[in-house]
Amino acid sequence: MATVTYDEATRVYPGADVASVDKLNIDIQDGEFLVLVGPSGSGKSTALRMLAGLEEVNEGRILIGDRDVTNLSPKDRDVAMVFQNYALYPHMTVADNMGFALKIAGVPKSEIRSRVVEAAKILDLEPFLDRKPKALSGGQRQRVAMGRAIVRSPQVFLMDEPLSNLDAKLRVQTRTQIASLQRRLGVTTVYVTHDQVEAMTMGDRVAVLKDGLLQQLDTPRRMYDHPNNVFVAGFIGSPAMNLLEVPVTEGGVKLGSIVHPVKRDPLAKTGDKVIVGIRPEDLTPASEGGIPVEVDVVEELGADAYVYGRTDVGGESDKQIVARVDGRQVPDKGQTIHFVPKGEGDHLHLFDPESGERLGD
Amino acid sequence: MPSAGTPTAAPRRGGRRMRPSRLLFVLITVGLPMVLYLGLVIWPFLQAIYYSLTNWGGFSSSMDFIGLDNYKAIFSDDVFMKALRNNVILAILVPLVTVVLSFVLATMVTVGGSTTGAVRGLKGSSIYRVVSFFPYTIPAIVIGLIWAQMYDPSKGIVNGLLTHLPFGLGDRFNSFAWLGETATAMPASIFVIVWGFVGFYMVLFVAAIKGIPAELYDAARIDGAGRLRTMFSVTLPMIRETVQTAYIYLGVLALDAFVYMAALNPTGGPDNSTLVMSQDLFKTAFSQGQYGRASAMGVVLAAVTLLFAALVFGVNRLLGGKSDK
Repeated sequence: MATVTYDEATRVYPGADVASVDKLNIDIQDGEFLVLVGPSGSGKSTALRMLAGLEEVNEGRILIGDRDVTNLSPKDRDVAMVFQNYALYPHMTVADNMGFALKIAGVPKSEIRSRVVEAAKILDLEPFLDRKPKALSGGQRQRVAMGRAIVRSPQVFLMDEPLSNLDAKLRVQTRTQIASLQRRLGVTTVYVTHDQVEAMTMGDRVAVLKDGLLQQLDTPRRMYDHPNNVFVAGFIGSPAMNLLEVPVTEGGVKLGSIVHPVKRDPLAKTGDKVIVGIRPEDLTPASEGGIPVEVDVVEELGADAYVYGRTDVGGESDKQIVARVDGRQVPDKGQTIHFVPKGEGDHLHLFDPESGERLGD
Repeated sequence: MPSAGTPTAAPRRGGRRMRPSRLLFVLITVGLPMVLYLGLVIWPFLQAIYYSLTNWGGFSSSMDFIGLDNYKAIFSDDVFMKALRNNVILAILVPLVTVVLSFVLATMVTVGGSTTGAVRGLKGSSIYRVVSFFPYTIPAIVIGLIWAQMYDPSKGIVNGLLTHLPFGLGDRFNSFAWLGETATAMPASIFVIVWGFVGFYMVLFVAAIKGIPAELYDAARIDGAGRLRTMFSVTLPMIRETVQTAYIYLGVLALDAFVYMAALNPTGGPDNSTLVMSQDLFKTAFSQGQYGRASAMGVVLAAVTLLFAALVFGVNRLLGGKSDK
């Protein structure tokens, strides 16, 4: 068990002009579950592979515990990795796959066997120990890949989108299993995913990356309540936050026909326009005034419903708006409803239209 | 509506008897190749077996059935037995050395590079991939002739270089006849064949290794496997089929080896030390006019070749079964 530190870690692929991972700084606590999340090409997998030793570090350092592992080969780092396609050795049985690292390390056969069986028990793999990977289902293969990591009891687990090849139901189920397994074993874990739901549900902390740059590093709650910039605001949360560029007026921002009051300080830092972020659940229908939305689609989820519609706001026409409404009183398609922010606007997020950075708390 | 079923049933019933166009299709796609195969492969083969049981001279129409006399003769013929032995040596050494060398080289240029960073080959090895393929583009007879010149005791480049060795070692290679000594003629010939094929099989193995998912190598490295372990525990099992195919091809080639041996030592080398069955067969048939006896040699050659292929398959399955457990 150990901490992991990215210290200005940078990776530039040969022949590339820009860094795939640019001066990454993350301190991961001992036993923490950290999720790296971002769209494709954000550098999240590269960052993970740098930690594994499968990708060179051009600048900066990576530490596991107090050891500087920047130039160590993967085998000397004491990390175990679960791959997207599981990377099981097809010619070996499940037991051999799980025990391969121990065999190389020269662990006695009887001990390998007992550790493999122990891990197999945890993962419900005991009946399959003598099978080859091709005789297993996708979910079972995924568990073997997990087992291979567990058996080694490494200092750090690395997981590179381990759930992306599972079907939706199994993914949700396995998500919980992995998270609880990690809590039980208490091994520091770095988990890469492109799925923000996975990131929010599994991680102790979440690191959002975009174009090789760390956008925000926070707990899921804080990430949701306090996105640092427009990108994080739009990326975290499903359905995504509504981001509207609206005019600033005396005492607040102009949302359709009403002026919604906001604190003066944040607005002082921007010009005559500001980007307002409102999550779908923070909008509520009003009898009139506010943002007029023409309903396109209504997604009924039972208790709630999501209204997808268009509005003309702040000079932009046909801007997409999503709002959550009571599942028992859903509007009809084509209807126009007016939405206003809930409460005093505590859940309103303000961003600078130029830099995209958050304004105020 | 009982009549509704009838129209759909009618064409089905008609289909039971083959329509002319369908019959033609079957005849062309299945029948024609079969006829060609029977006529051009199986029949000559049977014919050769028949000739091997006669005393046919090749040019006369007279032949007598003499049973297994030809086989008795060649198996008690020291020269043929030596040729058979030489072929067996070739069939053991040529595939082994070539496959091992090309496998190691292929590993080095694809996955044998630095153990940190992404899995890759040794630096600058891509040039070697191209260069080592060159020999394969040269016709076998030319390779044989080039090397016959290079091995030349007085004018050859091999001795030309070796005589410059320090500490008096070079003196031993003054006019040393590589192809004229019983001890070196065979190894020197094997070297030429291996030289000609390593590049090609390396490229073949490189292609096979490229087909292995890179994640597998990543996993092996994280599991702590070094270069050797990765080679034996990941690469080799993953390209096992390709290695087997290469082994059989090279074995068949070594059991023939006619062109190389004829070019390097046309008469079979000192004390017949490089004589191979096909050379003996050629001489028996075309110089001595004993077609019946030559056919018997051909049948033995074919049998040994089949035996070799069966052996490789068997060994591969045996080893596979072992590592599977």
